[in-house]
Amino acid sequence: MAKVAYYPGCALKDRSSHLDRSARDATLKLGFELDELPTWTCCGAVPPVSEERVMNLVAPSRILKDVRDSGRDVLVTICDFCYNTLKRTNYSIRNNEITRRRVNAFLADDEPERDYIEKKEEQWVDYTGDVRVVHLMEYLRDEVGYDAINRNLTRPLEGLKIAPYYGCVMLRPQNEIQLDDPENPAIIEDFVSALGADPVSYPYRTECCGSYLSVSSPDASTRLCYRILTSAQKHGADAMVISCPLCFYNLDSRQKAIAESYPDFKQIPVFYFTQLLSLALGVEEGRQGFDRHFVDVAPVLDMIREKTGKGGRE
Amino acid sequence: MNEKTGLAPPKSPPVRLTRETVGAGFKKRVNELSGENLDACYQCGNCSSGCPLAQEMDILPNRIMRLAQLGLKNELIYSQTLWICASCFQCTVRCPKGIDIQGVMDTLRQIALEEGVDHFGPDQIDPGQASTVPQPGLVGVYRKLST
Repeated sequence: MAKVAYYPGCALKDRSSHLDRSARDATLKLGFELDELPTWTCCGAVPPVSEERVMNLVAPSRILKDVRDSGRDVLVTICDFCYNTLKRTNYSIRNNEITRRRVNAFLADDEPERDYIEKKEEQWVDYTGDVRVVHLMEYLRDEVGYDAINRNLTRPLEGLKIAPYYGCVMLRPQNEIQLDDPENPAIIEDFVSALGADPVSYPYRTECCGSYLSVSSPDASTRLCYRILTSAQKHGADAMVISCPLCFYNLDSRQKAIAESYPDFKQIPVFYFTQLLSLALGVEEGRQGFDRHFVDVAPVLDMIREKTGKGGRE
Repeated sequence: MNEKTGLAPPKSPPVRLTRETVGAGFKKRVNELSGENLDACYQCGNCSSGCPLAQEMDILPNRIMRLAQLGLKNELIYSQTLWICASCFQCTVRCPKGIDIQGVMDTLRQIALEEGVDHFGPDQIDPGQASTVPQPGLVGVYRKLST
């Protein structure tokens, strides 16, 4: 089975482990395996802004250099924060010679201290940004192909109206990320269509959910999430689909706080894209970690069962 | 819950321009750290109109740009806006002059933190939340909002 280098990141190992598991299940069904890097560290979650802060680039650069040293040139990641950080770090190493030299000086200095990895007796080679950082959704679109996914479905999600939510760092800043159009993206809509469901068009799909403000200014995040969720509901959505652990926390768990602030609010289930994918590919519901959702997903699961019957597509 | 009905944020307080503040090199430092040219901003207001958090801010993003052009350091580093910005890059994407406004905001945060204006420390987090928020939220908030 084909293997692709995979960086899960901290959240997928712990508080969003259901995202990790559903991604692994789904990709196995599609005929490739997410091969987790043997050693990895936190990427830092947010890239540094100024050139003074080269230290903050060292951790993500080390991860990327390890991928290159293992002879691979593509790294798949799922968490939007990791994707943004790794991709932007790679971009600055590739395009800024001063950053590249300074980061490599740190990495070379640090190499002898890493006694937990197997070392090869080779000359030091600078990391120059050759690894391509790819979001799993991007890998599904470009390498696997949405058509191929559609052909492999055993339980197409027909009749389900799903609102794609992009959030912020998956698409932006666009000159460095270049995943899709930052104002009018289609990658999740096309993914939803490939699963047989209907993507819902609504205006707040690229609007920020508050990100880390959920910790420091929870009320602000509550207001933003209320706007996003109610906008999707007004346009007929049965469920939301997202890819980021923090968006999931904000849009799912925060519905408790939203209901307290806005009495008219009705709950809406939130799914990771990998959960919908693995459901549609026939992975059983028990493996999806639905018990970790705050909002009950049963109404949506019932709709899927109703449409597809017990056996699904023959 | 904050009772906010109108769309307009509170007006920024009047500022006093003097040769000392404007010429103190603050603007040059922001330009250098962010790698952006602050003077490119011509106050179209696109950043503020697209900002999802504009309603929560005391100084709108386009006004932040103007204050930075004038080198008004104190008005900037004590502004609540720095701690409300969620770094979502909406302003950066929409700036017709191609200025990375989020990068300027990050730079101002960095300068404020250097000056000891800490906003959010580990002691301020709700313990129930600390045990449930995904790690990128925790790492992100401490890296952006505290030294």
